[in-house]
Amino acid sequence: MTSHSRSCRLAAVVAVSMGLGSNVHAADPIKIGIPVGLSGANSVVAPSVVQSAELAVEEINANGGILGRKVVLEVADDGSGAAGAQKAFDSLIFRKKVDVLISMETSAARNAGLPIVTRGKTPFIYTSFYEGRSCNKYLYVNAWVPDQQVAPIVDYFMKKYSAKTYFLVGSDYAFGRGMLEFTKSYITSKGGKVLGEEYLPMDGTDWTPIISKLKAAKPDALITSTAGGAPNVTLTKQLRAAGITIPYGNLAVDEGTAKSMGIDAEGIYISGSYFTNIASPKNKEFLAAMAKKFGANLKTPNDLSVPQYEGVYAYKAAVEKAGSTEADKVIPALAEVSFEGPRGVIKMNKQRHAPLTMYLGKVKADGGIEVLETFKDVDPGEQCPKLK
Amino acid sequence: MATLLDIVTTAAILFAVGAGLLIVFGVMKIINFAHGGFLTVGGYSALAVTRLGWNPWFSLAFAFVIGSVCGMIIERLVVRPLYARPLDAILATWGLGIIIGQLITLAFGREVQFVQSPVSGAVELLGSSYSEYRLLLVGIAVILALVLGAVLNATRLGLVTRAVIMNENLARGLGINSGLVRFATFSLGAGLASLAGALITPLSSVDPNMGVPWLVNAFMLVMVSGVSLVSLGVACLVLGGAQVLVSSWGNPILGGLTIVVLAALVLRFRPQGFARD
Repeated sequence: MTSHSRSCRLAAVVAVSMGLGSNVHAADPIKIGIPVGLSGANSVVAPSVVQSAELAVEEINANGGILGRKVVLEVADDGSGAAGAQKAFDSLIFRKKVDVLISMETSAARNAGLPIVTRGKTPFIYTSFYEGRSCNKYLYVNAWVPDQQVAPIVDYFMKKYSAKTYFLVGSDYAFGRGMLEFTKSYITSKGGKVLGEEYLPMDGTDWTPIISKLKAAKPDALITSTAGGAPNVTLTKQLRAAGITIPYGNLAVDEGTAKSMGIDAEGIYISGSYFTNIASPKNKEFLAAMAKKFGANLKTPNDLSVPQYEGVYAYKAAVEKAGSTEADKVIPALAEVSFEGPRGVIKMNKQRHAPLTMYLGKVKADGGIEVLETFKDVDPGEQCPKLK
Repeated sequence: MATLLDIVTTAAILFAVGAGLLIVFGVMKIINFAHGGFLTVGGYSALAVTRLGWNPWFSLAFAFVIGSVCGMIIERLVVRPLYARPLDAILATWGLGIIIGQLITLAFGREVQFVQSPVSGAVELLGSSYSEYRLLLVGIAVILALVLGAVLNATRLGLVTRAVIMNENLARGLGINSGLVRFATFSLGAGLASLAGALITPLSSVDPNMGVPWLVNAFMLVMVSGVSLVSLGVACLVLGGAQVLVSSWGNPILGGLTIVVLAALVLRFRPQGFARD
């Protein structure tokens, strides 16, 4: 053939292969962004959250990924606070261009990140328990809110210890204040009385003046709601060092942090949606898989890390239902899909929040939890009535 | 009663933290901004002791030794070349503080960690129960003050140090090796900071930036104390007491501001602070 038609043929082959090539590029990995408190107050819990996500992603990739695409994690440190969260969210949404954010964070970090999520039009599955009523077009929550969590502890104290007077201690930010505001109105509605309500900044470590006030007030019971992680440990250590032995309900401690407190944690009452000794087959499977993957480095799965595992799977289900990762399609799909995980069947269909089975437990001397009562499918209440 | 104990124990903690900074300031006329970094080194030394499973009491001596050794190295390499340029030396110590924090992050990780307390629980004291460890800190601070006082007033090194504090050039003119005094002082100051770090950790936690809030308070306390350990003690009681009172009767957030605000006010009205003159 002539050299002219040969170069035409060549050009055609190149054009077709480039076309094919761009189809191959369409199988880009799906990026899941995880802004989490690797430093600061949440740093005690963050490693367990990252581990949950890593296991979920490993399992999903082993089963063909999502819509045939591999899943990749991008983890960023939000410093457990607002300033760090701005940097982390900016970097994940605008530089790394993640398809979704799935993570557990302090309320301060979440509130700072939400405007960036709105600007970046990125779905955000929040996997941490929190004070409730955070509403955003792109936000879904698969963990508990006070409407699901506070009643078991207060009811138990009133029943078993005839506790009429309470002292409330918390970290001074949205979560601490929001939880205790709910708790105070619940206690008052049940005929109890709140003798004092004290707050320390999230990164504060010296609880001495608050503990002195607590002792002076002589309440029947103590209920606390600090940021997850370090503040729980410092407060409990200092309480025990000061000889406080009244019934102590902690609204914000998870099993992993309780274990790290050692003997000081014994006797604390906690209420949550996950404990490692839940007897379901799915939980046993999950724990076995975690132990196999992480071995001696395993951080105790807890109420802040297990929703992360379920969150990743919920996203997978929503993307498969929507047929794409586009936010406009995934957002409505997230309310319609469900996933059966270690906590049971989770569906975020109540105003972006999920009905959950809650457990009331007591920390034992060895760090394990003794489950006292179980409440099935507790409704999250009116969280975002204005959101469509 | 509990408030009084709170005041005394808080003052003791502040004294332990501030003593090292005061000594360095007195002799070298520079504020060692790496003081917070040395505090952190002490905290992590205590963590290492907990991890190795040794007796928690040992962490105090261990922290002091590690801190002193770090101080010796740093004095030689960073501070000595800058003797003639005190402002640059201050800047260098600030940078050093940052470097120490980052090195610790590399070695131990960024997360908050916890240390075993040598004693736990409360004791009955004058009608109410109070944290045994906090009471212990008062004892340790008092011993520290006495030992430092003894070294400064009853030893040759102390005599020589006091001469350098009073007038370094004159002292050198008399044949005193001020370089050796500076070396010893900086190392001691670093060792004391490290010891203080190990003392405060069982009450709370360790993280790579734990020294920074203490640095600010220690700095203000040293500024109002002049060069005397006694006036440091007085400043700790007065300002520390004010902090406890504001935290107890107002709220802990205002309490955190008290020392800084009061120190600024004191200096405004009495520039020599609590020093005798």
